Parts: sequence; structure tokens; C-alpha cells
Amino acid sequence: MASVSEFTHAEAHAHDGHEDHGDHGHPTGWRRYLLSTNHKDIGTLYLIFAIIGGLVGMVLSILIRAELMTPGIQVFPVLSGILDGDGSVDAAKNLYNMFFTSHAVIMIFFMVMPAMMGGFGNWFVPIMIGAPDMAFPRMNNLSFWLLPASFMLAIISMFVEGAAGMKGFAGGWVLYPPFASTVGTPGPAADFVILSMHIAGASSILGAINFIATILNMRAPGMTMFRMPLFVWSVLVTAFLLLLSLPVLAGALTMLLTDRNFHTTFFDPAGGGDPILYQHIFWFFGHPEVYILIIPGFGIVSQIVSTFARKPIFGYAGMVYAMLAIALLGFVVWAHHMFTTGMSLNAQRYYVLATMVIAVPTGVKIFSWIATMWGGSISLRAPMLWAIGFIFVFTVGGVTGVVLANAAVDRYLHDTYYVVAHFHYTMSLGAVFSIFAGFYYWFPKMSGYLYNEAKAKIHFWLTFVGINLVFFPQHFLGFAGMPRRIVDYTNAYSLWNFVSSIGAFIAGIGTLLFLYILYDAFKLKRQAPANPWGPGATTLEWTLSSPPPFHQFLTPPPIPEEDEHDAPAAAAVGHA
Amino acid sequence: MTTSLERLSPVHRKSALRNKLMGAGGAAVVVGMIALTYAAAPFFIAFCRATGYAGTPQRVEAATTDAEGGRILRVAFDANVAPGLPWKFEAETDAVHVRPGKTVTVFFRAENLADREITAHPTFNVTPAVSGAWFDKIQCFCFTNETLKPHEKVEWPVVFFLNPELEKDESMAHVDAITLSYTLFAAPPTRASASEATRDGPAG
Repeated sequence: MASVSEFTHAEAHAHDGHEDHGDHGHPTGWRRYLLSTNHKDIGTLYLIFAIIGGLVGMVLSILIRAELMTPGIQVFPVLSGILDGDGSVDAAKNLYNMFFTSHAVIMIFFMVMPAMMGGFGNWFVPIMIGAPDMAFPRMNNLSFWLLPASFMLAIISMFVEGAAGMKGFAGGWVLYPPFASTVGTPGPAADFVILSMHIAGASSILGAINFIATILNMRAPGMTMFRMPLFVWSVLVTAFLLLLSLPVLAGALTMLLTDRNFHTTFFDPAGGGDPILYQHIFWFFGHPEVYILIIPGFGIVSQIVSTFARKPIFGYAGMVYAMLAIALLGFVVWAHHMFTTGMSLNAQRYYVLATMVIAVPTGVKIFSWIATMWGGSISLRAPMLWAIGFIFVFTVGGVTGVVLANAAVDRYLHDTYYVVAHFHYTMSLGAVFSIFAGFYYWFPKMSGYLYNEAKAKIHFWLTFVGINLVFFPQHFLGFAGMPRRIVDYTNAYSLWNFVSSIGAFIAGIGTLLFLYILYDAFKLKRQAPANPWGPGATTLEWTLSSPPPFHQFLTPPPIPEEDEHDAPAAAAVGHA
Repeated sequence: MTTSLERLSPVHRKSALRNKLMGAGGAAVVVGMIALTYAAAPFFIAFCRATGYAGTPQRVEAATTDAEGGRILRVAFDANVAPGLPWKFEAETDAVHVRPGKTVTVFFRAENLADREITAHPTFNVTPAVSGAWFDKIQCFCFTNETLKPHEKVEWPVVFFLNPELEKDESMAHVDAITLSYTLFAAPPTRASASEATRDGPAG
């Protein structure tokens, strides 16, 4: 990244020279990043962090798929032998459980959230609303640097005792007691995971407050709320979700921590507590959390579809209200994760109905993306491929979600691979596709370099084919009754597991190609123009150089008078 | 950015002050949500007691109705001792068949196998969880902690009835057997002296 920093550095001086008389001394070298208060540098740090987190999480998942490729337990005894010298079947089972637990924690807290909110949010929210930086630049620095600390705690937890005689926490990312309390996990591994999630939560809460203040207060004159780009709206909605839901997780985890260490009994029946209470509190956070993981992706995809169809987004206001509706509904459907815990029929009816209602605003969004493309002048550049891929896989994930919303069906499919397929279609495919879409969309802007378009398209096709091969057959496995979170299975499930594992290896090759594309772009240093995407790219970031100056919009930029969102396609062209 | 405040345009300088208010507001929301999360714990207990949620039997002073139901349900009994409590604990009968509205008395036997006096904390619930609302206990050893002298044997009565209203509950339409389950935990010394209210949780 040294070459990038030198470049942006020079750019910064070249562009700000006339505005920036007093302060030339922004930090350089490692100080620039460690002490950074610049939203773009912090965004870059977040993205690098997310790439590292994603790679670690992906290695874990590929090892999981290697184990599940054939019936029997072959891979994890070897891994366990290498990692802690045990190698027994019990240690292998524990290691497998620990791997899927860590895979989830890492992918959620150290890949998707840092990439979407921390990375793209930090980079483009201030620019898109015409602000010079985030509202609290120092807090922004704190938000980022809490994450590596949190990540370290998560990694440490993998190497200390969890369940008796076993390494690492193996109880799933949901941390349900009694397995996550001292009954199931007497060792400190669970404490490390709890503290890790605490710190990651604190980081996100600070980030959320920062985004809310930035978006509500620091818009350039003329940038009214309903003229903000949809990505900014998506970050605002997500920030409110974070602000309201993460403290609930913090509370639940604190109760669990004091149950484990200080003899409280919030979730311990011996003292009048109830583990079901934990599930309620956890999912009150957990369900909004899945929208936290996807709503920024909605925003990214909206920008990209509009840019590459060369049309303003269809139904802008509807898109905003759909996001708000999804966010609100997200808080009142949590017990659909708990259909099997024994609810009355009326409670089940309510949660089925409320959950299904979410399909309506989601449908509005899918419809509006398609309507935006309809009749547009579509160019299938790499970001657009990823965005269309997102719409496809997210729709599949959404449809299986409506299936699972039925309490009666859920009783059969609960904790099977059908659920695994469902949430990976929304997360592993949906969220990840939107992240790659955003990455290829904004990479020229962020780095100032062009990437190899053909290779980016091959990356898309490898990932699209690979990851669909991974997860589509898991619907069949789930219907056939294969339970999730178990290291082994009967021969009856071997065919689709084999296919699924092949898909994982293909997607893994796609990720290697992604790393090569990055290397290639930074090596060749092909300069990107300010706007590589043409007249469809109308948001403010495309009015700046690539990469943007170190400080931008110290004087608020002029915002065009007419409302682009209501204008016909032809009128919107030319704002760039 | 503090040093750069002067560099900012008046628009941005004004917003910097409002940012602080926003930040304080956000922090207040966070504190409020954490407080609500903690408030959820006592609320959950109260909710379970009031509604029978999570298989919480109702506690009543006496039979509230003379009505009798038409169905007969099987009520099974399950007695467990948590690890760390050297007691023997069992139900005298495996199961009884009950007509809703009829008051039933059953007995549980407990014996302290140790050479010291021990206090146990009984927890209880019914399965399926939806039957908690209709399972009314008039008398139960589980309402308080129980102390047994070394090798003392006791018989504890449990007096209960099923509320005939259960026949109007759709959730109970396919329930024809209910299990009342107890688990005895060793009560820590501090908990033994705690007030009854804190002892009497949703499941115990």
C-alpha cells in the first residue's frame, strides 16, 4: 500500500494547496494509519482488515467443506493433531465445532461488517453527502483500532481451553447457554469470544453514532434527506439498527459473562434464571443483525444498478421506505428463530405473519432494481455483474426465507442444511456479492488504479458458479434431513456433500484470483480517470479525482437544484 | 480535526456543535438499550408467571372453579437431582390421569444421603411449554427451599389441578399428556437466606 499512500499524498497536496494554508503536516508512514483521523484512510484500513478477516474465515470454511466432502471423519483428526497434538476423534469433533463457530464470528464481525460499514461507509458516506470528513474523526480511529484487538481475542479463544479438555469455543456463534455457560464450557475460551464480541460491538456502536451524526448534520446545503444517494440511506438505516441492537447483545453477553464468572444466574435455572431468556435477548439483537449485514449491500447495489443502467433508481422514495420498513420489522420477528422452543399457536401465528410481511418491502426493492434496469442502457461491467448476481442470489435466499418463516415447515427444517443454505444465500452470496460489487465499483476511485476487467469478470463467474454449487445442493440435504453443525453424516448424503465441497474449492480459486487482481492492479498502476463509469455515475465521489484528495469539500460542493431522482433518465445524464 | 476546525466553512463549524449533541444522544440510546436489556430479566420472570410462558405452572391459593372438563389428560412426573447434591429424589407415582378441574394430590420422596444438613433449591416446569398457563398448583414443596437433616427421609405433597379452560385453547388441542418435572439444586448458603421472591424464579 506504500505506493498508494505516496500517490494520494501527492494528490492531496496538489488538490488542497489552495485551500489548505495552515496545515500541511498530516501524518505519514505508519503514523498516517495508526493515528489516522481521515475517513478515507480509516476506510482503507477497514477494507484491508475485512480482506484479512475474510481470508481467515474462508480458510476455515474450506477446511469444513474438505471434511464434509466424504462421509467419515478424515480431515479434522489430522488438523487437530497438527494444531494441538491431540488428534483423537473427540478432539477432531471439537475442532470442527470450533471451526464453524469461528467461521461465523469472523465472517460476521470481522469481514462483512468492517467491509460494508467501516470500509465503504467511511469512504463514501462523507463524500456522497458533500462533507469534509466524519463527524467524530478521532472516534472513527478508535472504532477501527478496537477491531484488531477484538480479532486478537477471537483468535486467542481458539487456542485456550473451552469444553473440558478441549481447545476453543465450540458452541456456535449464538453462544447459547448452558453450553456457553460454565456447564458446557468451563474453560476461558468462551470468555474470550464474549469479550471479543463485546469489543467488536463497542467498535460498531461508536461507528454507528458517528454515521448518524455525520449523515444528519453534515450534509452539504441542498443535500436534503430525500436527495441523498441510496447508499447513504442504507448506512443511516443500518447505523440505527446497530445503535438499537448491539447494546442488547452487549447486555446479553455481559449477563452471560457474569453468569460464568461472578455467580449471577440470569440464564441458570439453579438460581431462577432461564436459558430461553438468553435466546430471546440474543435474537432481539440477532435478527436486526442479519439486516445490518445486508442493508448496506442494498445501498451499494442500488448505486451500481443505477450507474450501469444509466438511469436514476426506479422508485427512490419506495426504496428508502422499504429499507426503513425492513429495519423496523427486523425488531419484531426475533422469535421465528425459536419456533421449536414451545410457543403457543397464537405466538407462532404472529411471528409467521410478521416474518412473511418482510417479503413485501424486500420485494419492493428487488422489483425496483429490475425496473431500474428495464429499458436502461445496461453495460455489463464487472460491478454490474456482481450486482445482478446479488439480485439473483438474494432473491433465492429470500424465497427460502419465506419457506422457513412457516412455523410448521420450520419444525421440520430447523437446524438442517436447508437453514444453512438459506442464510448463506442471503449472507455468503448476497452480502458478499454486494461487497465485491462495491469493491469493483469503487476500487478505481479508492486506489486511483484500474483493475483488469476481464479477470474481475472471471472472478465473478468462478465465485457465482462455485458458491451456487456449494449452497444450492444444501437445500436438498436439508430437505433430506441432514442436520447442521455435525462433523459426519451417513452415506445417504454423500453425493450432494461432494458437489458442495467441489463448489467451495472453485469459489476458493476465485478468491485467489481476487488477490491476484489486487496485486495486478497495484503493480501495473494504470491510472483511473475521475469517473471511469460514464454518465450513469452521478454521485459526488465521481466529481473528485481518483483517488480523491486527502481532504475534500472543505467548502461544501454545489448540489444541483433539480431533483435527479424524479427526473427522467435523459435529464440525469450529464451531472457527472 | 480539532486544529482544522478554523479551516472549516461556517456551515461545517456550526454542524460540529450539533454533532456533539448527536453523539450524546446516541450514547444515551446505548445506555438506555443496555438498561432495557437488563430490565428484560425480571420482566421475563414476571411474564412467565403471569402467562405460563416457557412451561411455568401457575400458583393459586385454592381451586378457582367448580367446573370440570370433558377430557382426561395424563400427567406424568419427573424428578431429577442436579450434580453436586447428594440426595435421592423420586415421584411416588409415574403418572396420573386427570380430569381438568379435579384437584389432585401426589407425593414425592426425598432422602438426604449425606452426613450433613443440606438445603436444596427446587426448580420446576411443565412440558409441553404451552400447558404452563393451565397447570395450577395449590401446594408444592417447590415454593420454598427445602432443608434435610443428615439421612432424613421425607414425603412432599404436591396439590394441583388442570384449569378446565385449557379445553378452549387451540394450542392444547393436541396435548393429551403433560409432564411435571422437578430438578433439585444444591442451594448456595447465600441463596438459602435470600427472600422467597428472589428464589421463586420462572422455572424454579
